[in-house]
Amino acid sequence: MIIEAPLPAFADWWAGAATWWLIVVGLLGAAVLVLGLIGAIVRQGPVAGPRSFVRFVGSALGDLVRMSPRRVGAIMRLAVLESVRRMVLAVFVVFIVILLFAGWYLDPGTNEPAKLYLSFLLSTTSYLVLLLALLLSVFSLPNDIRNRTIYTVVTKPVRPSELVLGRILGFSLIGTAMLAATGIASYVFVVRGLDHTHEVVVDSLVAGDSGNLTGRTSLDNGHRHEVRIGADGNGRADVAQDHWHSITAQQRGTETIYEVGPPQGMLEARVPIVGTLLFTDRQGRVGETAQDVGKESKYRSWIEGGTQGSAMYTFAGVTPEQFPDGLPVELNLGVFRTHKGDVSKGILGSIILRNPDNPEIAAAPLNFVAEEYRSDLKRFARELTTSDGDKLDLFADLAPDGRIEVKIVCLEPGQYYGMAPTDVYLRARDASFAGNMFKAYVGIWLQMVVITAIGVTLSTFLNAAVAMLGTFALILAGFARGFIDDVANNQVLGGGPLESLIRLVTQANVSTPLEPGLSTTIAQTFDDLYQGLLRAVVELIPDLGVLSQVGRLANGFNIPADGVAVHMVMTLGYVAPIFVAGYVLLKMREVAG
Amino acid sequence: MDNGVVIRTRNLSKVYRDFWGRQKVRALKALDLEIRCGEVFGLLGPNGSGKTTTIKLLLGLIFPTSGDAEVLGKQASDVTKNERIGYLPEESYLYRFLNAEETLDFYGRLFNMSSAERRQRAKELIELVGLQVARRRQLREYSKGMTRRIGLAQALINDPELILLDEPTSGLDPIGTREMKDLILDLKSKGKTIVMSSHLLADVQDVCDRIAILHQGELKELGRVDDLLKLEDVMELRVAGLSEAAREELVATIERNGAELVSIDHPTTTLEDLFLQIVRDSEARPGRRVTAATTDASATADGTPAE
Ligand SMILES: Nc1ncnc2c1ncn2[C@@H]1O[C@H](COP(=O)(O)OP(=O)(O)OP(=O)(O)O)[C@@H](O)[C@H]1O
Ligand SMILES: [Mg+2]
Repeated sequence: MIIEAPLPAFADWWAGAATWWLIVVGLLGAAVLVLGLIGAIVRQGPVAGPRSFVRFVGSALGDLVRMSPRRVGAIMRLAVLESVRRMVLAVFVVFIVILLFAGWYLDPGTNEPAKLYLSFLLSTTSYLVLLLALLLSVFSLPNDIRNRTIYTVVTKPVRPSELVLGRILGFSLIGTAMLAATGIASYVFVVRGLDHTHEVVVDSLVAGDSGNLTGRTSLDNGHRHEVRIGADGNGRADVAQDHWHSITAQQRGTETIYEVGPPQGMLEARVPIVGTLLFTDRQGRVGETAQDVGKESKYRSWIEGGTQGSAMYTFAGVTPEQFPDGLPVELNLGVFRTHKGDVSKGILGSIILRNPDNPEIAAAPLNFVAEEYRSDLKRFARELTTSDGDKLDLFADLAPDGRIEVKIVCLEPGQYYGMAPTDVYLRARDASFAGNMFKAYVGIWLQMVVITAIGVTLSTFLNAAVAMLGTFALILAGFARGFIDDVANNQVLGGGPLESLIRLVTQANVSTPLEPGLSTTIAQTFDDLYQGLLRAVVELIPDLGVLSQVGRLANGFNIPADGVAVHMVMTLGYVAPIFVAGYVLLKMREVAG
Repeated sequence: MDNGVVIRTRNLSKVYRDFWGRQKVRALKALDLEIRCGEVFGLLGPNGSGKTTTIKLLLGLIFPTSGDAEVLGKQASDVTKNERIGYLPEESYLYRFLNAEETLDFYGRLFNMSSAERRQRAKELIELVGLQVARRRQLREYSKGMTRRIGLAQALINDPELILLDEPTSGLDPIGTREMKDLILDLKSKGKTIVMSSHLLADVQDVCDRIAILHQGELKELGRVDDLLKLEDVMELRVAGLSEAAREELVATIERNGAELVSIDHPTTTLEDLFLQIVRDSEARPGRRVTAATTDASATADGTPAE
């Protein structure tokens, strides 16, 4: 798998997300209010209880409305000073420097060095910064309470909301500085670490027909390239280790000097345009999936070579204005062999461009060799020919309304191609790599802010060690949120816990419905409630995993700005209720216990 | 604040509980108290009698188990009352990684004071508590008394109307104690209300108008200091230059009138007075040795004048 499912567009996302947020936060808030009221009545009786409850709620709202920027700023400054003066930061800077040094031992001679460098640097530095956020946020308030410094603070007109928000902001500020520093260092490190050049080994050059030369380059950074040089002396060093170089020739007297340019195609931010995908199975029947070889998840379907099996991608928006240089189709296919064949070679297949409404109109198949998950860019020129040699226009004939179909078949019997909707796409343009790296860091930044908020909030009512464990558990759950979602939503055969129990006791089959009756109704209602509760609990775990897009960056795909906007709003949606919970909990507790 | 009452507690009680809600200590039992504007009020009692507990309840640092406390006309749990309150805790709980100026600046910000105001106020207070030389040093390097002083400055940053001092003289040297007492009287003369706790009777006697004596969380005594301490049927005479004969005559006169002579003696000065005098002397003439004899000896022995 190269890219995960595409990120939602902001316009499609926000309305549903906002509704869901309102439901979850509203229900949660209502539940807390009801519990609070009951608690107050139990403790103070039916008259005084509600009165003091209302007073508390009013005062808590006042804390939110009457926050003073200067006081929040003061707490924030204190948080920053605290971390700086306690040398916490120095320790982390040392750590990160050590880490960058470890990076020197990364092998630039691997197949995909950019991916290795980026995923190593970004994941390790981000884990460190997230750990820093965890430690800073979790120790601050409990330390203040233990050292009783909080006595002199809360006896000033400072509100608990200001204490919590100031800390969240202060520690986030530190995290921001650390991320900025590590981000710049990593960027320089990646760009410099991967930059290299070669020399053309002149002795290796062999003249071919029509004045072409072929040969190889010197061995640098653990790899060498095949070289092709045209009659004009210019050429390129072919793709190896995920990049290529251009070669220019210069005449110095009688000698020809070949200059090899910088690596290209290594640090890129591809902007894919994905289409819709249909398959035909081996008999040629159309469906949304083809064969399942049981290799991976249902996400990817497999087509068998030498049969009628095929994958058909339909793309929209194919116009001459959008693609003046022809159609760039990039493939990242999965390859599955049922027999070995020539393992070093890839599996032969072909691409056919067709008119989606009239499949008779089709360009001649273009054959290619697929290697497992190796990106392969095919550029189709505007003038094409049919299999019969007739001329075709890419736009006028194949995509009269802007839609075009790209059909892929596997030609080797007994071998399979695996394809998911995002495996074949039009590569319209590339975005800036530096910008993409920035967006990846924004994602980590968002994670850091959420973790800081959780840490501060848990530390308002737990001691440092417990708050740290709790935050850590939430972080783990947050990174595994996708998986937990599946479990919580899984329609397990045999029903929820109570229904399963009934089946177990009565030895009923899991697939036959239970006999209707009071006990069944009670059991199923209970199970629905349980399921609902489970889902509600899952909703409380911030989805940290989705916020970071390091995978997209490392795989060389652009992180859409729209997706970053979605994540920013999501983060706000998490942090706001966490903050409110934090200061209400702090307000409720005796800081001088 | 009706008719000048600054603090009013009704049936104020506190039971400390452990994590499981089991009762540990009944630290304060049904305290009824009224403290009026402009007075210096002393909370007196042995260790563990509930003085600190009372002050914490008044500040809203802990919540009463029953009863309630009103401070400056507001509930103790209302943060806005803190605008007009200054609090010096039992020990100065301050951020040790800040220096004196930063500390005062920080607390000034919490009162939403402007930067000019904060600078002005910090300068005044550092002078008031005598920390000019140490104003840039982090509090971690401060001695106990210095910490106490910066704690006091912190409590006065907002020019409060009501000042709660929990054992203000603990950790202070005799001069510091004297200065603290003078400061309290000075604040009183400016119309501030002061509540202080102490178990040092002399301190309380010197500055307090009224006192409450607590013992094991119960209020034992409440009233004006001079009323409480006045011994109506004892009289003290202090006479200078009295001859032995005149003294015997006095004793005889007392006996003749049927009164009982409790004591007749040369008064001694207190250690406090002696210590204060020595230190004042040495400040007036810096470098002078304690006795003239030792100074002269050292100066002649090595030929250099004593510094
Ligand atoms: N956090 C607490 N948890 C449990 N018990 C406490 C707590 N704080 C105080 N106590 C108890 O409450 C009682 C009153 O304590 P308090 O600190 O008010 O005394 P105090 O009069 O200020 O004494 P001192 O002169 O030693 O400062 C003591 O028995 C003490 O052990
Ligand atoms: Mg005390």
